[in-house]
Amino acid sequence: MSPFLITLAAALAVAIPALATAWAQSRIGPAIAASMAEKPELSTTAILLVAIPETMVILGFVVAVVILVRGG
Amino acid sequence: MIIEMSKLRILGPRERLEDVLRVLQDLNLLHLSAPEAVPLTHADLTTGQERERRHLQAALDNVEQALDALGVRDAGPPAAPTTATAADLIRWARLGWRVRRETERLAAREAALDEEHALIMKYQHFFSAFRALLESESRWPNATAYHVLLRGREAGTLPQLRAGLAAAIGEEFQLFSQPLPSGELAVLIVVSALAAGRVERLLAEARVQEIPVPAAYGGKSLTAAIPRMLERLGNIPREVQEVRQRRQTLARTHGAELRRARAALHDRLKALAALPLSGVTARAFVLEGWLPAHARRDLEDGLHAHFGEDVVVSEVSKEEWESEQAPVVLANPRLLRPFETIVGLMPLPRYGSIDPTPFVAVFFPAFFGLMVGDVGYGLLLAALGLLLHARSRPGTTLRNVSEIIGPCALFTIVAGFLFGELFGDLGLRWFGLRPLLFNREEALIPFLLLAVAIGAVHVLLGLVLGVVSARRHPRQAAGRGVSAGMVVLVIVALLAAVDVLPGAFFTPAVIALLVAFPVLIVLEGLVAPIELLTTLGNILSYARIMALGVASVMMAVVANKMVGAIGSVVVGILFALLFHLVNFAIAAFSPTIHALRLHYVEFFGKFFSPGGVRYQPFGHWTRANGRTRAVPSPPTTRNPRQAA
Repeated sequence: MSPFLITLAAALAVAIPALATAWAQSRIGPAIAASMAEKPELSTTAILLVAIPETMVILGFVVAVVILVRGG
Repeated sequence: MIIEMSKLRILGPRERLEDVLRVLQDLNLLHLSAPEAVPLTHADLTTGQERERRHLQAALDNVEQALDALGVRDAGPPAAPTTATAADLIRWARLGWRVRRETERLAAREAALDEEHALIMKYQHFFSAFRALLESESRWPNATAYHVLLRGREAGTLPQLRAGLAAAIGEEFQLFSQPLPSGELAVLIVVSALAAGRVERLLAEARVQEIPVPAAYGGKSLTAAIPRMLERLGNIPREVQEVRQRRQTLARTHGAELRRARAALHDRLKALAALPLSGVTARAFVLEGWLPAHARRDLEDGLHAHFGEDVVVSEVSKEEWESEQAPVVLANPRLLRPFETIVGLMPLPRYGSIDPTPFVAVFFPAFFGLMVGDVGYGLLLAALGLLLHARSRPGTTLRNVSEIIGPCALFTIVAGFLFGELFGDLGLRWFGLRPLLFNREEALIPFLLLAVAIGAVHVLLGLVLGVVSARRHPRQAAGRGVSAGMVVLVIVALLAAVDVLPGAFFTPAVIALLVAFPVLIVLEGLVAPIELLTTLGNILSYARIMALGVASVMMAVVANKMVGAIGSVVVGILFALLFHLVNFAIAAFSPTIHALRLHYVEFFGKFFSPGGVRYQPFGHWTRANGRTRAVPSPPTTRNPRQAA
């Protein structure tokens, strides 16, 4: 496979989950901030809720690495 | 660890109930609970006690408000008398009321002075602008003066205003103007008294802003008002100072007494709130509660010393109470105790379950270190930890955070040597620092495998702890055991399939999986396979250790390359330092969040049982507990040594 396609595949593997993560966090952030204003004890939940969508981009990064290593 | 608790039952003659509660409050050991399964009535407050409670609460509110208004800080423990007499309480109630009234009066006086000062300052530019014009006003003793302010764009309309006045009242007016530093135009219009009505209408129609003369300074004439306002402007700071001095005097005179009053009032209210937690008959009372098993002797000795054989203490057997009801005290060695802060972000674990603090103390810094993995950043982190430690007081969250940073910095430095990183590749370029394990920049797959392997160990540990915590429920424990075994079998089969383990392991592992599968469904139900898949997903989630680690080292390498990439070396170095600073900030924040997540979601989810009741022994009030209200809130601590 051409280096261009391999690089493109790796870039998409990171970019698409990154967009998805950004969208998810843009929805979660304001909601949890509003909740914490009323209930500060939700800080742990806030950490978890904000960190959970990041799994997508992290796994996307791992997939990109595998694509580059195996394809290159 | 969660320390062992004992449930005690205290029996005695009813007339000694309040004395016993007083001694228990001094001992600060027993977490009171209403007696259950005992055919007794609860000792509700009498009408007199209810009235006393209301009065004491009102007095406490006065004292609290007075202390807040005086800004009295708590320096050291309040010297609360252990036995406050009724006369003391009455005296303190009066003192609180009197000081509160006085502080309210002072606050109102200070607010009025501030308001007056602000009002005069609003006229400040006017004073200088009109000072010259006022002489003109004074030459017309029977005239009416209008003081007008024309704002920026309106300033050009002055000729129109003059023409309008001339058209309305002819020559019966004089108009003087002077620009202000703000760009506005101060205008004085002096008209004969007969024409005043028409001028007012004209100004209103033209929507010109007239500056009223404050009534408090001399009615209609600024001539009379300005000197008085200037005089007040000189006096106000002195009067404000007097108010503050009076408040300081009050704080000096009554601050210590009010603090004693607050502690004593809280104590008495706590004692009254504890009364309904006792069961009574016509002649006897029963109190029940929990305390750490090792403190039982202290409580028995304390009560025996005061009441001899009149009061009997007996232990309620463990068969009579459920572990979920017992309050929880976490007690960990000094080195591990700061990590209780991390566990404390979750609800308290139930009594009888497992305290995850020791495991967090090992794995949290390890995960953090693997993600950051740089000798330079580790040293910076250690410096930050030392700084926070120096600037924090023992027992505060900041001190705990500084003590968590220490192990994290240590693991970061160790991982930095393993990966051969000192501010990225600077270690290699300057000092020939070689990786002891592998280079994270290049060995991506080995790093990924290491991260997932650590995840497998961590998750399996969680499953084993889940088996241990479910030991009292054999079926659940067996189910968790089978689940853990199947995870091991899946890992063995995968490793055998990729030739990491001998191929001979593959078939037995698959056969064992097929056998275990129906057993798991029988023990755990139909959701068990889904949970098994979730567990495998949890192990893969540890790949984030590799992802964040690689991102960290790449950022550092990019920062180093800036020195050569940007024309000027000095600018390049500045950019590189800035980039390293940003990377360090990200390295301090993001790995913390992800290490926390790996613990809370992947690890705790396997064994953690939240919902424990915090151990709150019935004792004297301290500032740390906040205010006492309808329920008893004795000193809250998760460590009996702190409680003492």
